[in-house]
Amino acid sequence: MTAPALEAIALNKRFGGLQAADNVTLAVQPGEIRGLIGPNGAGKTTLVNLVTGVYQADSGTVKLAGQDLTNLPMHEIARRGLVRSFQVTRLFGSLTVRENLHTAFLARRSPDSGDGAARLEQMLDLTSLRPLADTAAKKLSGGQRALLQMGCGFMVPGSCYVLDEPFSGINPVIKDAIIEMILTVNRTAGATFLIVSHEMAIVRRLCPTVTVMMEGRVAAHGSLEEVARLPEVIAGYLGKALE
Amino acid sequence: MYSTELVVQTLISGIMIGVLYALMALGITFIYSIMRMINWAMGEFYMIGSYLQYMLVAHLLGPDLWWLAIPISAAGVFALGLAVQWGLLKPIFKKPPELRDDYATVVTLALLLLFRSLATGIAGPNQFTPGSNLPIVMVGPMPLAGARVAAFLFALAALALFWAVLRYTWYGLALRAASQSRVGVQTAGIDVLGIDRMAFGIGVALAGLAGALLAPVFLVFPTNGMVTTVKGFEIVVIGGLGSIPGALIAGVLLGLIETFGAAFLDSSYQNIYGFLLVLVILVLRPTGLFGERGREA
Repeated sequence: MTAPALEAIALNKRFGGLQAADNVTLAVQPGEIRGLIGPNGAGKTTLVNLVTGVYQADSGTVKLAGQDLTNLPMHEIARRGLVRSFQVTRLFGSLTVRENLHTAFLARRSPDSGDGAARLEQMLDLTSLRPLADTAAKKLSGGQRALLQMGCGFMVPGSCYVLDEPFSGINPVIKDAIIEMILTVNRTAGATFLIVSHEMAIVRRLCPTVTVMMEGRVAAHGSLEEVARLPEVIAGYLGKALE
Repeated sequence: MYSTELVVQTLISGIMIGVLYALMALGITFIYSIMRMINWAMGEFYMIGSYLQYMLVAHLLGPDLWWLAIPISAAGVFALGLAVQWGLLKPIFKKPPELRDDYATVVTLALLLLFRSLATGIAGPNQFTPGSNLPIVMVGPMPLAGARVAAFLFALAALALFWAVLRYTWYGLALRAASQSRVGVQTAGIDVLGIDRMAFGIGVALAGLAGALLAPVFLVFPTNGMVTTVKGFEIVVIGGLGSIPGALIAGVLLGLIETFGAAFLDSSYQNIYGFLLVLVILVLRPTGLFGERGREA
């Protein structure tokens, strides 16, 4: 049996008196696009931070394709193929678009991934940022920065991606472009995604299954239609049944 | 009336000393740009560089091999910087960032006292000079001290090397990226603590290099780094904290203002002219000429 692409097992994290992650367990299968939804303060970003090494877990285990990543440093987790994006983009403002993509490639490359030049050209096309290739990232619009961040994540193929609010604060055209990028990389490279989002229309379009978090715990799991019918999800998050 | 010759000579002297000051400022600002900490012991790394240069020239290599002693001195300070980062700074940089600044301040102030006391304890409060057998160099009709010209040329070469590494190498790209976002480089798979180690080593090596180059000019004694450190911080304020071009341009600017002030106004107030410029900059542009207003975590 194939190991899940990404697995969190009984993860716990406490900040002072707040139990931000309470025995969180989830498994994302290879090639799956999983949505992670829930109200603000539910622990979604805490889970993302635990899985990607920003926070150290108090207890529990994180596995990537069966290998234990628990409490490894962030850079080591990224090198092993688990890549994340941030709600507030973390780009290198004074570096050009091309240099941002190059930086994202060099430390994560494998012996068979070459010098990255061809991949970089692909990403300039995939993100539609070729005309801005030599522009400093700080001069890009919010949407262009979001596209570049996605491109940086995709510079090394075949990884598992954890995207924290990738559609937040950007216009519909860029949202569509990011959705297409995700679907393209999922189809062509079989990449796995865990996507945090509040945008139910996009979650419905992208994610066959979702995990709902509430008050630091996993509250439900299933298709969006299934979980959206649950009274506790309606009461604690959605407010009303989805149309 | 002032002669053209005096103006040109002052200009050359100002640029030469400014470039050497800039080495020190570059070290301070480079460490800050990557690690977000001020190294208060920069002057002591300068001092150690000058002692190493003195020991190598006076006791091991001889005056003829002064040029070989300079990279060895800088390399010695670089190695010391790696050890300090690994042993004293890395442990706190592994943890969340809340108290990093305070800790780094305490550690580097403690190092300042320790290195100064060690220098006094080992070599005494005496002043040494590695000496220089370099001849006077004539630039047109103007004589310039050979040691100063050599120091200037070495500093230019070091700055060119530093720029080339940052601009054209993969490691330079990683260093530049780390100066923009520490979280971002980790997401890209880069070990930010390794970057810190190299940045601290390079930063203090620049101070050590300045110490070795200026040893024949400003002499070698336990507190000789104090004045250059003050100049370094003045330059950082003028150029903007974290700005590498700012450090270079402000270094030359400070050198020019000091030498012109000394030549044409009153040499006894030489150190005041730089402070006046700092005050003007703080009033008109508190972030410095090239300083940034904010950055990402």
